[in-house]
Amino acid sequence: MKGIKMAFITVLVVGVFLFLGAPWALGADREVLRISFDAGDILDLHPHFAHTTQDRGVVHLIFTGLVRYKAGDIGKFEPDLAERWEVSKDGLTWTFHLRRGVMVHPWKDNPGYELTSEDVVYSFKSAADPKRSAWAAEYAGMTFEPVDKYTVRFTLQKPISELLFLPKVADYAGGLIIPKKPAEELGEGFRTHPVGTGPFIFNKYLPKEKIVTVRHEKFYRGVPKLAGVEVFFMSDLSSRKFGLQNKELDVIEGPPSQPWVEEMQALPGVKVNVFGPGESGVLHFNMTKKPFDDIRVRRAIAYALSRDEVATAIGKAIAEAVYSEIPNPQPGWITRDELVQRGKKDKKDYLYAPDRKKVKKLLTEAGFPKGFTTEISLTERGEYQVPMQNVVAQLRESGINVKLNVVDHATYHSNIRKDMNTIVLYNCWRPTADVRLTHFGHSSSIVVTGKKPITNFSHVGAVDADGDGKVDNVDSLIESARDMLDAKEQLAHWKEIQFKLLDWCIAYPVFIKRFTFARQDYVDWGYDLKSTLILSPQINELTRTTK
Amino acid sequence: MIAYTIRRALIAIPTLFIVLTITFVLIRIAPGDPAEVRLGDYASKEAVEALRKEMGLNKPIWIQYLHTLKDLLQGDFGRSMVNGRPISKDLIRSLPYTLELTLVGIIFGAVFGIPTGVYTALKRNTLADYIGRILSLGGLSFPTFYLGILLMLAFAIKIPIFPVVGAGDFSNLTKNFYHLFLPGLTLGLIMTAYVTRMTRSSVLNILNEDYVRTARAKGLTERKVIYIHLLRNALLPITALIGIYAIVLIGGSVMVEIVFSRPGLGKMMIGALKQRDYTTLQAVMITFTSFVVLINLITDLMYGLIDPRVRYK
Amino acid sequence: MKQPSMRGKILRTFFRNKTSIIGACISLVMFLIAILAPWISPYDPLKQNVYYRLTPPERSHLLGTDEYGRDVLSRIFTGAQISFLVSVISVALGMVIGTALGVIGGYAGGRVETGLMRLLDIIMSFPDEVFGVMVMIVLGPGMENVIIAITVLMIPRFARMGHAPTLAIKEVDYIASAKSIGASGFRIIMRHILPNIFGETVVMSTLWLGTAIRLEASLSFLGVGVPPPTPTLGNMVRMGVDFLAVAPWVSVFAGLAILISIFGFNLLGDGLRDITDPKLYAR
Repeated sequence: MKGIKMAFITVLVVGVFLFLGAPWALGADREVLRISFDAGDILDLHPHFAHTTQDRGVVHLIFTGLVRYKAGDIGKFEPDLAERWEVSKDGLTWTFHLRRGVMVHPWKDNPGYELTSEDVVYSFKSAADPKRSAWAAEYAGMTFEPVDKYTVRFTLQKPISELLFLPKVADYAGGLIIPKKPAEELGEGFRTHPVGTGPFIFNKYLPKEKIVTVRHEKFYRGVPKLAGVEVFFMSDLSSRKFGLQNKELDVIEGPPSQPWVEEMQALPGVKVNVFGPGESGVLHFNMTKKPFDDIRVRRAIAYALSRDEVATAIGKAIAEAVYSEIPNPQPGWITRDELVQRGKKDKKDYLYAPDRKKVKKLLTEAGFPKGFTTEISLTERGEYQVPMQNVVAQLRESGINVKLNVVDHATYHSNIRKDMNTIVLYNCWRPTADVRLTHFGHSSSIVVTGKKPITNFSHVGAVDADGDGKVDNVDSLIESARDMLDAKEQLAHWKEIQFKLLDWCIAYPVFIKRFTFARQDYVDWGYDLKSTLILSPQINELTRTTK
Repeated sequence: MIAYTIRRALIAIPTLFIVLTITFVLIRIAPGDPAEVRLGDYASKEAVEALRKEMGLNKPIWIQYLHTLKDLLQGDFGRSMVNGRPISKDLIRSLPYTLELTLVGIIFGAVFGIPTGVYTALKRNTLADYIGRILSLGGLSFPTFYLGILLMLAFAIKIPIFPVVGAGDFSNLTKNFYHLFLPGLTLGLIMTAYVTRMTRSSVLNILNEDYVRTARAKGLTERKVIYIHLLRNALLPITALIGIYAIVLIGGSVMVEIVFSRPGLGKMMIGALKQRDYTTLQAVMITFTSFVVLINLITDLMYGLIDPRVRYK
Repeated sequence: MKQPSMRGKILRTFFRNKTSIIGACISLVMFLIAILAPWISPYDPLKQNVYYRLTPPERSHLLGTDEYGRDVLSRIFTGAQISFLVSVISVALGMVIGTALGVIGGYAGGRVETGLMRLLDIIMSFPDEVFGVMVMIVLGPGMENVIIAITVLMIPRFARMGHAPTLAIKEVDYIASAKSIGASGFRIIMRHILPNIFGETVVMSTLWLGTAIRLEASLSFLGVGVPPPTPTLGNMVRMGVDFLAVAPWVSVFAGLAILISIFGFNLLGDGLRDITDPKLYAR
């Protein structure tokens, strides 16, 4: 009995100690911003390869471009490494004048040096090389040369509008400038020891744990307010949440999930940022596979679906319906009202509002009065699973059974590019309407059989979409729109293309979902966060913690 | 004894070899391309092909196999296919977390399981025994991950005493302890259930042996009977079963690591799986198997030490 | 030590029977639920109602709703059906194939036996979950593949059970009548062995059914089991973990169903084993 009493008291004492001691033991840090992404580790920190959210998040601390998207607003461009630029009358030559005094980060034994046109030219040549860049296609046909120490000239083969040119030299993907000396010196090592011109300097990489960056005292836009940024990898949602609650993290990436947003907003001292542009989700129908070659079947599916319900499945705070291939807010997008107006004018239906009767009628006409079954592969990732599970559940009500073959993300992308799926859900954002229409609507982008296969899953441009016996094609429309220099004309053209695609029902645009991040209320981004291309809030020299 | 040791060790080697081969083949047959994972869906075909070449993925399988074998023999686990880092480094970083967890699991299981097992065996068919048996059966029936989730819900979420996930590092021992508590408790409780049952049945088997009755008849105190005769003879079957339990322990630790997001071998394995990181996956599987083989070897040797008859089989 | 008292004897008998009976009851109830799932589910387990997601247990949804607004109770019933289906098939296949392999191996002897037993030993030397994950990675997701994975893990267990008695009987037979072993030898052995191990097979199958259920749940929890939207008890726990803080009922109830099922089978198997194993109950 005595032993038991002792044991009980011990347990009680230990329990109290644990309870009281917990917060003290777990500690907290300040001045350095700690952000965590939904990832197990980085893949590649080379800016011309980095494509995942976490990689881009790190890369954008370290690199900048000639031009920048205005912080928090992708609708505007601002000078950055370049102070100003001109374009020649024939539109073939762009000249950029560099800012002086831009200091490259110190690395290894090198204290850093001033960035010049030599570095800029080196960077673009590298970005244009398919062996050293994943976005080489953006720079095909361009040449780059230094005019003098602070001037760079770009020569194009065909003129393009400023709307289409600036993204190529902006602080995104291939436009991020890699300084020549460290890039050449570090070689492959650059991928895990990036050196750039941005507000934060790479300090160290602890695999599977975190990346540490420190303030770049000589940053050209001003000394950053933060002493440094630490980027943590935590692929587990609960880890991140409790890291935030315990004040071990300041910012965390969230899933595109309404319950999560609500849960975070309910926490004391926590704020949620939902921002754009987001990624749009479009269902592409493979018109070379039965029964999707029949326009009635495709339209039946469109009428069977409620975009609103799918958006709600993802979460009303995060997602909303989109009605055109080009999503809101990208220039070239079509509003619901415009669709309805134009539909009335053309006596066609571009909207495909949910209508059970039409579904039954179309399916019966097509020969499937009781519905049909199809099997597709789908990635296990949440942002695909959530909307697609809802789409499947909705289609089930109309007798259309979609069997899901869940695979890992890489296999999914491999499968759909091998033309294996009958329906392809694809979530993405593309820098311009031209890129999107080319990738998804031009015949040369058709998967497997196209001249330069990208992501034209529907095979539009090579098949008869509306059943009139003639191949339906928008190639020339896309190409002529690309060359237009007048913005208004260009937009109108892009809309025409989309009306055609909607009429043929080659794809069904469903939703656009925004990004979600939660932060401590003492984190101030330093700018108004409305939209960012890099899928996470930009942390720049103005970001700070107010304590 | 030495001959026996060598014999057992020699058998261990082909086992490792076969496991390596099976792992290698299985992983290569699996669908998914690590080069594509690395570059993402926006990359050009040429970039993917170039990376495949760099990773050595375009060579025939048997050449890749020989390379792997050669490297392994030199103690080089190769580089991760996903981020190019040497895997040995990652293994060494993850190992301590798994080791501390499994250690806690074993110690907890032994400390609470053996006495309970002995007690319930001695008090056979009383209420105490009944309760003990139901509890340990309950423990066995509890899926490890579910127990982890329940403990997490109770003591990290609803009553926030412990951190939910993560592991803390070894520089801050208190923090480490906080992160280790719930996972350790989960694994410990499961192991206790196993150890209790095993100890109980071993002891029961022996209780009926003649020499125990003799010892009792001789008038030795109960305590002496237990400690001297019982446990010493029960040691043999207990030792034999350690091998099995090591396997349960490893499997359990993987589940616990996933639930609590601890950066150990289990998490490394699942992460490598998701990213199609062939080389890392291989390395982790080999590490796991090496443990199992090692434990089995030690068990065999202990068996040989305790019961000389075994050596001459 | 005191001799087992009358009380002890009564308790023992009660216990012996009680365990089996309770275990049998629990198992039976779970089986019935699994079989009758489509008829007793108040809602369609696949029907989504996203405007009504993650609601706590209440009268219209006894166990609450999940992240798509699906009724948790109905999904647990259907999930039990799928989990049980997978487990029963795996154990049955494992029993047939495993016992056959064990007997064949024991009868064949020589290098066939050694090779076979070695291979099976190697499979058993992996932790179940780890091996299962590897098989699923190779085969890809899907219910059929989960069945294959679990069957492969069941085979060595049953093989071992058929192996030893085969060896024993082979000895006896060989010594007794060396000449008469020929084509009929195999059949004789089968006729001797199968009834011999019948009891043990039944008992162990019950216990291993619990193991199979646990395995399916673990594989689903790790993300390599039966994929959604098909509910299994394991993948329900997995999906529920993301919402543990706001909606614990999904994971808690699905996990509870797993626990009860395994517990029932273990009670039953344990009780049966006690009844059929004389050693533990001498005096």
